[in-house]
Amino acid sequence: MIELEIGQEVEMEFGGKAKVLSVIGSGGQGIVYLVRFNGQKWALKWYDINKMAKPAAFRKNLQNNINDGPPSNKFLWPKYLTKEMEDGTFGYIMELKPEGFDSFVDILNTYKLEIDPLTGRGVKRPVKFNTLSAMVTCVINIVNAFRQLHRAGKSYQDLNDGGFFINVNTGAVLVCDCDNIAPDGSNFGIGGKPGYMAPEVVRGIAQPNVQTDKYSLAVVLFKLLFRGDPMEGEKVVRDVCLTESSELKHYGQNAVFVYDPDDASNRPVRGIHDNIIKFWRIYPDYIKDAFIRSFTTGISDPTKRIIENEWQKLFIRLRSEIIQCGCGRTNFSSMFIHQNEKTFKCPKCGMEFVTIGFNNRDYRTPLYLGCKFYECEIVPESDDFTAVAGELVENKLKKGVLGIKNCSDRQWKAKMPDGVFYDIAPGKGFPVWQGLEIDFGEVKAQI
Amino acid sequence: MSNEHITEPEVNKNVSPLDDFDNAETVSSAASSAPVSDDSILDFDDDPLSATSVSKKSLVIFFLIDTSGSMKGKKMGELNTVMEELIPEIRRVGEADTDVKIAVLTFSTEVRWMYSNPIPIEDFEWARLRASGVTSMGAAFKELNHRMSRNSFLNSPSLSFAPVIFLMTDGYPSDDYKEGLRELQTNSWYKFGLKAALGIGQEANDNILAEFTGSKDTVVHAYSGGQLAQMIKIIAVTSSQIGSKSMTLSDDTSHELGEEDVFAAKQKLLGQQIQELVSTQTDGDDVPFDTGW
Repeated sequence: MIELEIGQEVEMEFGGKAKVLSVIGSGGQGIVYLVRFNGQKWALKWYDINKMAKPAAFRKNLQNNINDGPPSNKFLWPKYLTKEMEDGTFGYIMELKPEGFDSFVDILNTYKLEIDPLTGRGVKRPVKFNTLSAMVTCVINIVNAFRQLHRAGKSYQDLNDGGFFINVNTGAVLVCDCDNIAPDGSNFGIGGKPGYMAPEVVRGIAQPNVQTDKYSLAVVLFKLLFRGDPMEGEKVVRDVCLTESSELKHYGQNAVFVYDPDDASNRPVRGIHDNIIKFWRIYPDYIKDAFIRSFTTGISDPTKRIIENEWQKLFIRLRSEIIQCGCGRTNFSSMFIHQNEKTFKCPKCGMEFVTIGFNNRDYRTPLYLGCKFYECEIVPESDDFTAVAGELVENKLKKGVLGIKNCSDRQWKAKMPDGVFYDIAPGKGFPVWQGLEIDFGEVKAQI
Repeated sequence: MSNEHITEPEVNKNVSPLDDFDNAETVSSAASSAPVSDDSILDFDDDPLSATSVSKKSLVIFFLIDTSGSMKGKKMGELNTVMEELIPEIRRVGEADTDVKIAVLTFSTEVRWMYSNPIPIEDFEWARLRASGVTSMGAAFKELNHRMSRNSFLNSPSLSFAPVIFLMTDGYPSDDYKEGLRELQTNSWYKFGLKAALGIGQEANDNILAEFTGSKDTVVHAYSGGQLAQMIKIIAVTSSQIGSKSMTLSDDTSHELGEEDVFAAKQKLLGQQIQELVSTQTDGDDVPFDTGW
């Protein structure tokens, strides 16, 4: 049975029935329904098994994934299978998307179309990240989710813009559509979404795997930051109509990155690819270089693609280089004047920002009121990029005096103007001054 | 409009195209000769959060609708109703990749567009049609050929998908449809377009419709009001889904794909899916009321 009816009850594998309440959406493989099961609301994905190459193997794989559980809480993971109907159709239920999350598609569109139930007319509600920090945190979350998945020996297979829900205030990420996830090396018939598929998959010479996931991940990140298609430039637009053969050519046989330094044939076109043109000059070189590598040498040589851990480090760095100036200008330090080795200056209001150097990295981090650093930046073995370890704040008792607050649960040492190191207990702080040195334990920092 | 362009595209239209979409008028060299400016960082239009929508491909869905006198009554009532209901259903089909627009051409004694330009699907409102007159299908083909051009309805500055063209008729053409079709067949947008047709009632000739779509797979027939609504939905939803997306070309990894493997892949897929869907539909009107319980 391809479609379920409202009110219909579907038997679950281990007993109980899920009652269909409404349709949530439909995709290439089936339809998603809102259902009630065990007194709770769930999402039921119901497959059109006619569109499946190997339904039995697909079901077995889903069963394995359910047994294994999600790699982390960033996944909206399949929870329970339904029984098979007489004709072999089946589905699974998963938790509903929590409130406060928008789809990646809506972020790319910059709005969500909400339908007025009375008139049937669409109203556009703007959807965009609230802060730059939330956007970069979102990138780190996406990268981290795929790192966890790949570490579990699995690949996502059809990574694309439909696969995420994002909280635009915090950058929190939920990976959805987890039903094609399979052990690396196996594939149950999904090819992927064009534009996101690795060139070797488009050409028909490889099946989705962890390496092709890495290509798709780079496309997702590029779209999120640069708001355009990394392979769609002048060369592609000149075809006017994207037929099947031009798609095979531009995304498979002869894919050329729009900013390939050695091949200018496919540059972005003004009036069409304005986002990419604008954003490409904003980002620092280490970010651009990573995309260049992904989309040049990484096209033909999958082993040259950026690994998730490397992306994670790059974007943790990028987040630490955001400067939020008092005048309202918020941007990466690459868009501030590099006054001297240790100082950035706001090109708009002239405010200067001192930087702090950590002994575990070769770049300096700008300091501004409200800036934060995270556990993973001061504890070498930590992967925790969400727990705030320290924050630059104003002393509540001495107005105008800026200092760093210890938000971690460990004791630090900081050098004061008298030249002596003092213990800084959790919750305490110390002023920022010209000769400041901090000892976090293994990691040390100084102005 | 979701796909706003800030500046006019710097395209010139003199370079000969790779394919003959309207002969020698296509986008050409823009950014390569004008490298991205080295604007100083004092340019304040640099907020990493102030993005416009991603550049989208554009898709126009053409509905060619027979409004001759024989469509009067139940057929036209059913058609108007299902079209009104259909538009909201396919609104989200473009997702973040495609701007979908709709153009409706009606033909009876005269050939007439519902609106003078394709309308974005989000803003489209169905204007109820009335039936009268004869069936000038050939004239409709000519008019379609005329409008399917970069100079006319398909004037998006960015990339397009080949259009979806959906023909609905209930009778035999009263003019020389073959001449119109011959003209249309020279149009590249038509050649690469996704074509489907619906014959309504006993009079409609499926062979003519297959001439139009290029294959029998993409022609279906409705004999009752219930079927009419079902078939319109099946064809419109399936073709707009396939038309608004790039194609997953193959899941067979035994050999590298060549151009011949992917030629008209979408049209073939459309035929397949329409046939599958049609075969699973049961026609409520034909089932005696006391069976199927």
